[in-house]
Amino acid sequence: MSIATNQEWKPKIIVFTCNWCTYAGADMAGFNHFEYPADVRIIRTPCSGRFDPIWVMRALNRGADGVLLSGCHPGDCHYGTGNYYNRRRQTIMKNMMQFMGIEPERFQTSWISGSEANKFQAVMIKLVDDIRRVGPNRKLRDAR
Amino acid sequence: MKEITSKLQEIATRLFNEGKIDVFLAWEKGEQEFQTKSYIAHSVDDVKNIIFNEYSIYNVSNALLKLRDGHEKIGIAVKGCDSRGVVRLLEDLQITRDRLYIIGIPCPGLKDPLAAARSFGGLGKKESDQGLAKKCLECIQPNPVIYDELVGPEQTPRQQGDRFAQVREIEQMSADERYKFWEDTLSTCIRCYACRQVCVACDCRTCIFDEMKPQWVGRETNTTDNMMYHLVKHAHMAGRCIECGECERVCPVGIPLMLLNRKLIKDVGELFGGTEAGLQYTEGAKPALSVFKENDPDNFQ
Repeated sequence: MSIATNQEWKPKIIVFTCNWCTYAGADMAGFNHFEYPADVRIIRTPCSGRFDPIWVMRALNRGADGVLLSGCHPGDCHYGTGNYYNRRRQTIMKNMMQFMGIEPERFQTSWISGSEANKFQAVMIKLVDDIRRVGPNRKLRDAR
Repeated sequence: MKEITSKLQEIATRLFNEGKIDVFLAWEKGEQEFQTKSYIAHSVDDVKNIIFNEYSIYNVSNALLKLRDGHEKIGIAVKGCDSRGVVRLLEDLQITRDRLYIIGIPCPGLKDPLAAARSFGGLGKKESDQGLAKKCLECIQPNPVIYDELVGPEQTPRQQGDRFAQVREIEQMSADERYKFWEDTLSTCIRCYACRQVCVACDCRTCIFDEMKPQWVGRETNTTDNMMYHLVKHAHMAGRCIECGECERVCPVGIPLMLLNRKLIKDVGELFGGTEAGLQYTEGAKPALSVFKENDPDNFQ
């Protein structure tokens, strides 16, 4: 018995999805056996209007290496306008975090509808690739 | 300044006698010559304490938050930046317009009490020809934007050149350089929350930084927690900062907080357009992040 000294780093990626589009898209991707990396953890929320920028910062603070927010395409929101509000918020927050020196890859967004299982798969593969390229998150991570 | 003081006292006396107001918000003399405090006059007898001098730099609109739950009618003396704060509170429905009687003071530019304290103390140096405070040199709105009565002649904006120059400079750096810059700058933060206390846009009843369950932001003064604090605080300022510069003025360790605020103002202006926060009052108007357009920029994917 020996302790493995060379553990391979695996990214921790949080994906916030809206209940109505992206979660259904993820469901459909699973239904159709589309493979995508197992490094993403999906958290379901009622609407992309529910996304709070503090979730992203908190996730990065508590050990996530990347965060993706995903909801219905603008105009398709189940509640009408949720993703329009979210779009403004996250545009500003993204600029702000980049201004403070966080890599743009760490905080991403994509609009994925319920029927776009292919897109969901493609986005997840690209997301994990991006995070693997920029490496572990050391900047906003809690150092304790 | 002397005329403005006497005029303020005259107006306050008149309003009290006419029964138009129950309290009057202005400044009073502080302990030192170079200090003033915000002051709430409750009757005609208190009016003699009201003062406006070159150190009346404190943003009194913030003190309206202490009175937001009452029903008393409020007279308030405002400079240009304070009047934008009043608009901020009206927009946030923290206070109603019919409770306010606003006396506008076109601001000639004021001095920084902290700088004055430094020149007074220590080496026996007396107050020399101390210039205007930094926030007054960067002022774009010296004239009140909302008032019932105006005291004194109108002033011209003192901001020279491009107020976003430093923001653009930092935007040119690489991500690691930017992080290094903010790491160095924010590592001095002692988390005294003075910037939050003095901010007129910080009008939540329960602040997210005071919440224990869930505790969103750690309370240690290490780099990550400090960065979290400033990111979250400025996330709340987006489209709401009135650029009064109070946060930067009260910061005991001199963090350039207006740099972050200006970045937000610049981005909101470039991306969503519209007038800047608090520059004009229209009933029912909302801050930039509480409204949307269908053709907002969508090129971040």
